[in-house]
Amino acid sequence: MIGRDSLNKIDYTLVVAVLILVALGILMIYSSGFDPVDKLNNGLYKKQLIWFVFGVVLMIGISIINYQTLGEYSLQVYVAVLIILIFTTFLGSKVRNTRAWLSFFGLFSIQPSEFMKLALVIILAKYLEIRERDIKRFRELLIPAALTAVPVGFILLQPDFGTAIIFIPVMFTMLYVAGADVSHLVSILLIAAIAIVVPMMLTYREWIGAEGGNLILEFFKDVNLLLIVSLLLLGITAVAFALNFFIVNKWLRRIYIPGAVISLGLLFSVMIQKFFKEYQKKRILVFLNPDLDPQGSGYNIIQSKIAIGSGRFIGRGLLKGSQAQLGFLPEKSSDFIFSVVAEEWGFIGSIVLLGLFLLIIFKGIQISIEAKDKFGALLACGITSIFFFHVMVNIGMVVGIMPVTGLPLTFVSYGGSNLLMSMLAVGILLSIRTKKFIY
Amino acid sequence: MLTTSLKARMLEAFRIRMYFVTSVIAFVFFIIFVQLINLQIINGAEYEEKSRQNMENNIPIPAARGEMYDRNFKLGKNKVVLVSNRPSFNILTIPAKFETKEKMETTIRTVCRLLKSDADLALKEMHGVNPWERVILKEDVTFETVVTIASHPNVFPNITWEDANVRVYNHQNMFAHSIGYIGAISREEYRDLKKFGYKHYQQVGKSGVEKQYDRMLRGKDGYIRRIVDVRQRTEGEEIGLQPQAGNNIVLTVDYQVQKAAFDALGESRGGVVVMRPSTGEIIALVSKPDFDPNLIISKDNADVIAMLNADEFRPFLNRVIQSKYPPASTFKLITAIAALESEMATPTRTYFCSGRYTLRGYIDHDFYCYDAHGTLDLPWAIARSCSVYFYQLGLSIGPTVIMRYANYFGLSELTGIDIPGEIPGFIPSRQWKLRTFRQPWFDGDTVNMSIGQGFLSVTPIGMCNFVSSLVTNGVMYRPHMVREILSPDNGTVISTIQPERLREIPISQLTLNTVRQGMRLGVLSGTSARLALLPVPAAGKTGTAQTRSRRQDDSTQHAWWVGYAPFDGSPEQAVAVVVFVEYGVAGAASAVPIAERLFYKMYELGYFQ
Repeated sequence: MIGRDSLNKIDYTLVVAVLILVALGILMIYSSGFDPVDKLNNGLYKKQLIWFVFGVVLMIGISIINYQTLGEYSLQVYVAVLIILIFTTFLGSKVRNTRAWLSFFGLFSIQPSEFMKLALVIILAKYLEIRERDIKRFRELLIPAALTAVPVGFILLQPDFGTAIIFIPVMFTMLYVAGADVSHLVSILLIAAIAIVVPMMLTYREWIGAEGGNLILEFFKDVNLLLIVSLLLLGITAVAFALNFFIVNKWLRRIYIPGAVISLGLLFSVMIQKFFKEYQKKRILVFLNPDLDPQGSGYNIIQSKIAIGSGRFIGRGLLKGSQAQLGFLPEKSSDFIFSVVAEEWGFIGSIVLLGLFLLIIFKGIQISIEAKDKFGALLACGITSIFFFHVMVNIGMVVGIMPVTGLPLTFVSYGGSNLLMSMLAVGILLSIRTKKFIY
Repeated sequence: MLTTSLKARMLEAFRIRMYFVTSVIAFVFFIIFVQLINLQIINGAEYEEKSRQNMENNIPIPAARGEMYDRNFKLGKNKVVLVSNRPSFNILTIPAKFETKEKMETTIRTVCRLLKSDADLALKEMHGVNPWERVILKEDVTFETVVTIASHPNVFPNITWEDANVRVYNHQNMFAHSIGYIGAISREEYRDLKKFGYKHYQQVGKSGVEKQYDRMLRGKDGYIRRIVDVRQRTEGEEIGLQPQAGNNIVLTVDYQVQKAAFDALGESRGGVVVMRPSTGEIIALVSKPDFDPNLIISKDNADVIAMLNADEFRPFLNRVIQSKYPPASTFKLITAIAALESEMATPTRTYFCSGRYTLRGYIDHDFYCYDAHGTLDLPWAIARSCSVYFYQLGLSIGPTVIMRYANYFGLSELTGIDIPGEIPGFIPSRQWKLRTFRQPWFDGDTVNMSIGQGFLSVTPIGMCNFVSSLVTNGVMYRPHMVREILSPDNGTVISTIQPERLREIPISQLTLNTVRQGMRLGVLSGTSARLALLPVPAAGKTGTAQTRSRRQDDSTQHAWWVGYAPFDGSPEQAVAVVVFVEYGVAGAASAVPIAERLFYKMYELGYFQ
């Protein structure tokens, strides 16, 4: 089946970049698994190596399947993965208070939420291809939103905040690229911004013990009052919106659009106030100012920055990074693996790593732009955005410019499911790229 | 089916949006890139330092503090070691090394029985710290104890020891005030000394020479560089820096003279200071009541310190430099010098003493002498310490001249002796009286001041400097206790303290001779007559100070003796002595015998040759 022709069509740059990145990752997992006091390695790198072999097989396997077949079965794939995800959420095995894994005979375990990312991207790509012409309508956004919200809801129940949060920017990117109305997207983003900023300010004031003085904040503090006001505003908006059907007037639009944005934003902020746990709100605050909590999640970021900074230009050498080797760096083989790279290989190593990611992402964009059909283009774009947001959130976190969210660095961090999912995704990219030549 | 043009337009829109997405991605990577430059290039050194602080948990190796010897120290020959260090051992353990809590408790209880220390307290401390931190079970144990522990590793598993130094004050109370003692650095001291490399766990001189020369004596601690992981488990150890012992100090103090002064003062409260007038070298400095510095520095001493602090006679006070008293009759020397130097009187001026002097004024007031001396000239007035003579002399020259000369001799200033805590004496002035009492200076005040009573107060060290300047024809040196600073192995002299001239008081030979003659006559047949038979010709002046005491009984008088010997030698041979006895039973009678014993001792030691 793999003839000379199709071998020529394989994007070797992409494949080589991915292989180097994973190999580098395994090396760093080896380094961070070493205990210099007991002179023992925890052996995680071996497991990762096995996953890697699996991943390569899967990547090759899926790259020779026509990606359009995936489109045809997108709903089945989505539903199947979702069922496994729901099953895991309630009956999976618990690791550190999160029920996100399905264990197989105690030998290995799978994290279905990782594969959900891919399933979502496939079904969104398919849906948006079908609805290409109507995408400018607001209600066309509801189905993609629902497709995203259902798995996100279950993942939040596990609870795995980091994994859940990554779905949302991926969805937005796909909607945007598919041609959704920018004003719709901006309105939704504004609602989200209001919903997050208000509780954050309140949590901050409560935490640092600031009292009184600010009338507006006092108003926001009263959750019930806030609820009443936002519902009132929502009512006015609804009336304006209803009138809109009888009287065509630009003036009404000027009421109900900002009205909806503000009232929904406040309404969601009430919900966050009520349903989010104190530590979750504090986490975001600690990101804004790690000194607020030097022993809690701020500690991780401080240690991570020390690790990265102390690597300086050329790094301290493999197995020589004291932050990683002596355990000052937390979660060093998974979430903070980039800090190990930066400490042991320095600025040069960090740049090489970033360069490889940039190469993979730009290859993905190129494949998306050159894809033969809209489904392929959106699928490639969705996959690329998964990669990109992982890199942005993870590296952004460890260098201290993004909040702390437990998210692995694709291809590099220890974790079988994420690696398998990423390798599968690369396989799909290769398939899209290969089919470009078939007319 | 879409029309071709629509499809083309949509494709175009898609591409534009993809380009936008691409630029957002590029921007995010750029931000990360900038942050990496910020962390690794711009602030790299700072983070490297923080990383080093994370992993290094160094164990200090204390430096041996310098020793102190008396003035007769000679390289390779005899030395009287006044302060030294005794090697000792601290017994310690690391809680995390025990496999189980039960094993730990059994071991600690066993070892505490051997060490005779509180096992419950030790266990409580061990639970309180990071289990990988060292816990000291007992400080300063004997070598035998260490041998016992070392030879029974099964009974005392995970119990180790470290070398330590304990300061030893070889002559206990004798040098309590002059050499002083050391102690744990206080919060305030640490704040001030941090910039000189002091560490919070170190000991520091608290008083006397130990404090003044602390930076010479302390040496430099070394450390064992210990790399620890996040749980404080040790990954590696190496000697980071060998400790550097402190410099040794040769004092100007003579152990024999100090001992004589210490013994002579006995149970009395007061102070003795012996000094070489021609250099300012302190040969002896004793203050009583005193204390044993060895008890102060020992570890379980809270009750001793509390007792000393509560003592109403304030044993920590160095009475030679930290307390001031009326100079009493010893001040008559100043009055005499003021009269002669201002040329308002000659040595042959005579006054009649009937035992009483009546000052005529608004209210007549009688001032008394302890005897009826008849007619006296100035030297005999000094020798007999005739108060009536000095009342009249003082009145005739006026208070301002007396005050001026008292100030010339530095009695209201610090002498600058090289041990900390000195206070100045006090010489009143007309303005001071007006300011303080809202009253002008009365003749009665002049009469009182002429004989060293009233508002005057001086320190024994100040008086010692004054007497010394009579020997050296008016040249005054800064008193000092340290002669040389030696390298830790005593091999080289790091610095020699040179005599430092404080001031030169222009004083005529006639004045000096008259005053000296008066002091000599005092020894031959005056108030100090007990010293007449000394093998060395001495000269001196007694004083009996009256203070307002809490108890109105006999012991409200302080005894002074100031003087020097030999009377007729060169200034280089001379030694000045000041004896001060608080609440001496019969005034001068309690000070003179002390001076006598000191001169005998120094004569034996060959001081006057």
